[in-house]
Amino acid sequence: MNAFPATLLIFALGAYVAGIAGALLFQRAERLANGIGFGLAAVGGFCGVLACASALATGAVTASQSFELFPSLIPFVRFSIHADALGCFFGMIVSLLGWALSIYSLGYARGYYGRKNVGVFGAGFNLLLLATTLVFLADHALFFLIAWEIMALTAYSLVSFEHEQEETRNAGVLFFVMSHLGTGCLILGFLLLFQASGSYGFDSFHALGNTLPAGRRNVVFLLFLIGFGVKAGMVPLHIWLPAAHPVAPSNVSALMSGVIVKTGIYGLTRVGFDFLGTPPNWWGVTVLTIGTISAVLGVLYALMEHDLKRLLAYHSIENIGIILMGLGAALMFRHSGHPVLASLALIAGLYHTLNHAVFKALLFLGAGAVLHATHTRNMEDMGGLAKRMRWTALFFLVGAVAISALPPLNGFVSEWLTYQSLLQGFGTTTRLIRLMFPLSGAMLALTGALAAACFVKAFGITFLAQPRSNPARHAHEAPFPMLLGQGILTAACVFLGLFPTLFLKLFDPLTQQLTGQQLSQQLTTANGLVLSGGGAQGGTVSTLGITLMLLCLLPVPLGLWLLFARRSRTRIAPTWDCGLRGLTPQMEYTATGFSKPLRMIFKALFRPRREVQREYDFSPYFATTLRFESHVEEVFQTRIYRPLRWLVLRASRRTRALQAGSIQAYLIYIFVTLLALLLFAL
Amino acid sequence: MNPSAATEISSQAITLMATLMLLVQLLMTAQRMLLTSIRLFAIQSLLLAGIAALVAYHHNASHVYVVAGLTLIGKVIFLPWLLNRLVHRIQIHQEIEPLLNAPTSMLICGGLTLLGYVLARPFTSMERLGNNTLGIALTLLLTGFFLMINRRKALTQVLALLTVENGVMLAAVALTSYGMPLVVELGIFFDVLVAVMVLGILVYRIRESFASMDTSKLNQLKG
Repeated sequence: MNAFPATLLIFALGAYVAGIAGALLFQRAERLANGIGFGLAAVGGFCGVLACASALATGAVTASQSFELFPSLIPFVRFSIHADALGCFFGMIVSLLGWALSIYSLGYARGYYGRKNVGVFGAGFNLLLLATTLVFLADHALFFLIAWEIMALTAYSLVSFEHEQEETRNAGVLFFVMSHLGTGCLILGFLLLFQASGSYGFDSFHALGNTLPAGRRNVVFLLFLIGFGVKAGMVPLHIWLPAAHPVAPSNVSALMSGVIVKTGIYGLTRVGFDFLGTPPNWWGVTVLTIGTISAVLGVLYALMEHDLKRLLAYHSIENIGIILMGLGAALMFRHSGHPVLASLALIAGLYHTLNHAVFKALLFLGAGAVLHATHTRNMEDMGGLAKRMRWTALFFLVGAVAISALPPLNGFVSEWLTYQSLLQGFGTTTRLIRLMFPLSGAMLALTGALAAACFVKAFGITFLAQPRSNPARHAHEAPFPMLLGQGILTAACVFLGLFPTLFLKLFDPLTQQLTGQQLSQQLTTANGLVLSGGGAQGGTVSTLGITLMLLCLLPVPLGLWLLFARRSRTRIAPTWDCGLRGLTPQMEYTATGFSKPLRMIFKALFRPRREVQREYDFSPYFATTLRFESHVEEVFQTRIYRPLRWLVLRASRRTRALQAGSIQAYLIYIFVTLLALLLFAL
Repeated sequence: MNPSAATEISSQAITLMATLMLLVQLLMTAQRMLLTSIRLFAIQSLLLAGIAALVAYHHNASHVYVVAGLTLIGKVIFLPWLLNRLVHRIQIHQEIEPLLNAPTSMLICGGLTLLGYVLARPFTSMERLGNNTLGIALTLLLTGFFLMINRRKALTQVLALLTVENGVMLAAVALTSYGMPLVVELGIFFDVLVAVMVLGILVYRIRESFASMDTSKLNQLKG
């Protein structure tokens, strides 16, 4: 890497460090701490975006060198970073979000004035950004694990920031436990790699898988799949995600959902494409299957939610599934020796990673603004916010369209690329396994449709119609920094959607590094106006063209009005209310009602349970009170995790007998161990 | 006196003293009276100081004299005095019941001695002076450990820990002809000193809280 991006990158890291120090130093003066903490984070994020994007765009990453951040005092650990193409790409994501989220937080943190320590909040936020950036850039397994752990612990403390509520504490502990389960697997995986290569440097792991015996290689893959899968939130390791994301402060949930979850994707890509060599077929099949299941289940559970942030959290699982579909397909193509298709699928997956980070963060920020205004996460208490929070509603709408994969926004582009790679994959092999491709393609289509339905619900119930509660009635627009943060991400959604061919160039060094191909030429036709699927059977699409066509259609209604309706009379009157005495919020469609048809269709999965209690005086038709309860069973909680937890608790109770509390017993343990070791040494 | 004869004599003397240390240790395992145990420990430490002095004299290594001196002051005079005072203060002079009776303990100690000698065998060639001192050192360590397990009184456990430390010192002096680096020995020495001080206070506190210094009652602390 030449001097400019590298210096800028170091500057970004320095800004985060300064942000930590500054926010802690001035924690007594909360306004100042807010400004310094999040201001410096914004500066750092901005520099990071510039550095990573320019390094990727100029191709400077291919020449980048590994260098030590600071000399290590600990043996075996080198604090070395290497901004290669993959790391730079993810570094760009975290920096972009860091920039936008920090600006947003300048406004959001005001809500904590006088209530919480804003300085600690800002410092934690900076630390999280710093650790996550280092996770992507670390070039040494132990340094990577250290950064990974700092990231997990900081995320834990930020999730539990509002620890006064029990729900928050429980969610934090669940996150903590799951996260460390994953880290345990990662440590084992890295140790196995270390055993084979004799060094902890990532450069020594490169293509190491080809020299490993098959059994050990599979074990390493499975360990990493579980370890990174927990962080990514893939089914069935996802349960921490819908618990932890909603309770965190909204800027933190945006960062968690946008970036922290993506560290799992980064790890899988790094391990699957860089370390483990040419994969056997079942790796790809496994990842593709898990991806498909995660996508469908994620969106189905999202549909059942009426907690706005939980709904978004379940959508993260869905989108991780879509990303994993791309990665899984890429692994399968790699196995069957189709590097071009593998690159296409990889680009699809990683482009969706970027897109999901952008629109999911945007949606979480929108949810945060709503939460800020109404102090509730329950959608059934919202409504009518579009009139009271115009900008937030607009931004949320853009995010909703993007996540529903509707053209011309960015979600559409990456899902379209995923379709292209899946559909072209059918021809790569003659074995029966190729049925996987159209099958998961169909599932992806189902997912897209359900996601759209879900966001019709999310947007409609939250922002449209009349307010359902007093706080919603008195909601006010979010302060300017919060709007600016959302605005940046909205712009990013639009740009990533309209000019995909521009951004495809950023992937050239990346695919060059991982698959040895450069696809941006093949995927671009008509001077970059049209995106093509590559290959003979690939389709083409132009989001810019679609938008221009739509814009051309805009004058049509105007023309029609001029032609036919100019002379008709305009009358302003209230909405027709079927002859009742005015419309009330009680007549509105509820979130639960909206999703009822789907709840019935997927009855086998949801096992819906409802209880109706009605009390009446003389006739059941004139009930005095009515109580209605409806539940959806979370299959993974009840069928997998609850029995598992019971087993663990029972085992712990058994082993507690060892901790007798008597000194003599402890001494005997030590003595027996000593004797055993001495005898062993004989 | 020619050098080889001098070596022979000091070697014999060291072997003798080390063997006496082992004997004292075995006596301690069978001993119930606290004051006698403390006295036995003082004798053992005195023997250790003698060995250290002899090694220092033989190798003309002045810093091992320091070790010998410290052992003399600390373990022969100061610590026994401290423990004696503690015994008088808490008014308990006898170990009421060891977990295992004396004959069984002796049998086990015999086994441990055997083990110590077997373990030390590969290293005997490294000894400069004396025979099997390493074996004795290891035996002191193992039996000291056993003594710690076998007793209930915190005070006897402190004594046992001190004999373990004596074993470590013996190994250091016997195996490395000039002893360990002085800094390390000083470190160990002060470590033990502090440990005994702390334990002394702890014994007193345990006695105050539980009206006994039976450590097997500490499991009442567990919830």
